[in-house]
Amino acid sequence: MFDDTRGFIEALRASGDLVEVEKEVSWDLELGAISRLACEKDGPAIWFKRIADYPDDITVLVNPMATWRRVAMAFGLAPDASIKDIYREYEKREGKLIPPVTVERGPCHEVVRRGSEVDLFDLPAPMLHEGDGGRYLGTWDLVVSRDPASQWVNWGTYRFMLYDSSHLTGFPRPTSHLGKMFQDYYVPRGEPMPIAIVIGADPLSHFAASATFHLGGDEAGLAGGLRGEPVDLVRCRTSDLLVPACAEIVIEGEVLPDRVGLEGPYGEYPGYRTGEMGNGILFRATAITHRKHPIFTVDATGYKDDSSTVTALSGALAIQKRLERHGVPVVDVYMPPEGAVHLAIVAVQYGGKEVARNILETLTSRRALISKIFMVEADIDIFDMGKVLHAFSTKCHPAHGVHVIHYEGRANTLTPCYSQGERVAQKGATVLFDCTWPGEWSREWETPVKATFDSIYSESVRRKVLERWRDYGFDK
Amino acid sequence: MVSTNERKSWETFVRRPGDLREGAELPLALRDLNPGRKKYSVRHVVATVSRNPEEMPHVDTLFVRTVVGVLLPETWGITILRDLPIEVPGKPYHDFFASLKAAARDGDKT
Repeated sequence: MFDDTRGFIEALRASGDLVEVEKEVSWDLELGAISRLACEKDGPAIWFKRIADYPDDITVLVNPMATWRRVAMAFGLAPDASIKDIYREYEKREGKLIPPVTVERGPCHEVVRRGSEVDLFDLPAPMLHEGDGGRYLGTWDLVVSRDPASQWVNWGTYRFMLYDSSHLTGFPRPTSHLGKMFQDYYVPRGEPMPIAIVIGADPLSHFAASATFHLGGDEAGLAGGLRGEPVDLVRCRTSDLLVPACAEIVIEGEVLPDRVGLEGPYGEYPGYRTGEMGNGILFRATAITHRKHPIFTVDATGYKDDSSTVTALSGALAIQKRLERHGVPVVDVYMPPEGAVHLAIVAVQYGGKEVARNILETLTSRRALISKIFMVEADIDIFDMGKVLHAFSTKCHPAHGVHVIHYEGRANTLTPCYSQGERVAQKGATVLFDCTWPGEWSREWETPVKATFDSIYSESVRRKVLERWRDYGFDK
Repeated sequence: MVSTNERKSWETFVRRPGDLREGAELPLALRDLNPGRKKYSVRHVVATVSRNPEEMPHVDTLFVRTVVGVLLPETWGITILRDLPIEVPGKPYHDFFASLKAAARDGDKT
């Protein structure tokens, strides 16, 4: 398993899933535009070797896990493993947490700058999208924070905007784990919250930080479980937080409980810049530590970015477990990357109004990130969006099959279809399309019969046709 | 006056069309558009703005973007009167612009 970003880069290079750009590129939109286009084309990861205004010893890796091939490789699977196989592998590993190990020293401390030596502009944070509020770092990061009351340590992926030489502004959503910890403990006490922004750790530590994991969960242990071995952690230089020892770059500092700065707007993972601006948090840096020749990691946030695959995997499994706990007859869940973490396909043994209501209530009770759900029967291959769309188009009753739940104070503020007012109030709704046959319909007399090759012909007819397929004149 | 004879370029974001008013002293978050490694660094200021920068030879240039980041076609002139602290007193997750306004007001009292 990969111990760091460098090992992963070597594997990507060997499999042909990496483009190394030797030509100098500008951090000011050029790098972002290249990276965005690569994402939209399901292209390889990109390692930019020369960034204008910066020395050649700092390079930038973009979109490390934005395709299923690269996710599979991060898990040590064959690059062409199916989505289903990756799901099953994640499911197998995520239940076995392996606690991290604390070590005395690590490569992330090869270079240490503190206090007045700190200049955040030494990091080639790109201006990713034209019109963003600023240059963003922390698009592919791992932010460490701790709740002193419970000693819970949270790892999360949160965006940060370069503000001046020693300040960043950020927008970990108020309902996020970090946002909640900050507001529940530090703000009422007027105490700054120490955090460490880790850039370029091993791929599965990033995966664990980005994964949908329960409040109070141990993401460092999850990273160990996914890796099959513990993550080595080393103590920060200006706080007692622990960070992955093999990380490329660590920014240490504190979030201020009574000071603010302007944050955003930013083109976020749904693929839009929705105009959330000015309501974030302010971070003051106390140190930057890094490896020699550090590699700055970036997610070109937007349509089909890294978060879409990570959440497609971890979010789907988290949803499945929650639904199981709440008595939903769930069989499988898929969150297609194209759905930008807003769409879930839920396969059930049986559907109907009660199951629909249960799913809606379960998935919107704390924070409601998903706004569209397709509920389908178990015979639909939920990983095949063509089949899902067919089920939706043919089986969902346009009046009785549509179920909606409304909520306030917990909606996803990044959902593009919400108005500015709804975003401020975190007001929204989730719709479920019931693409299952009504349970009260007689299977013999009322339920339409599916007329596809797999379902309408007898086994003997199918076998005969498949055996003679090439003889009929078909290539494959 | 903090502005110098060298005309510099700044950019600011506004929530609503009427947020920039001529003649008034406005608290603004400006980002530096001048080339170099520190491009887009942020500065908090109190400034006056004008729709007719060509009539004011010594003012800086101000570009304006909307809350969703769309660049407005008009270019403004800006005269920076004084700086405000980069750490603005205020409550996290609450309106930054209200906090900046209060910081400017409190600065006026001292």
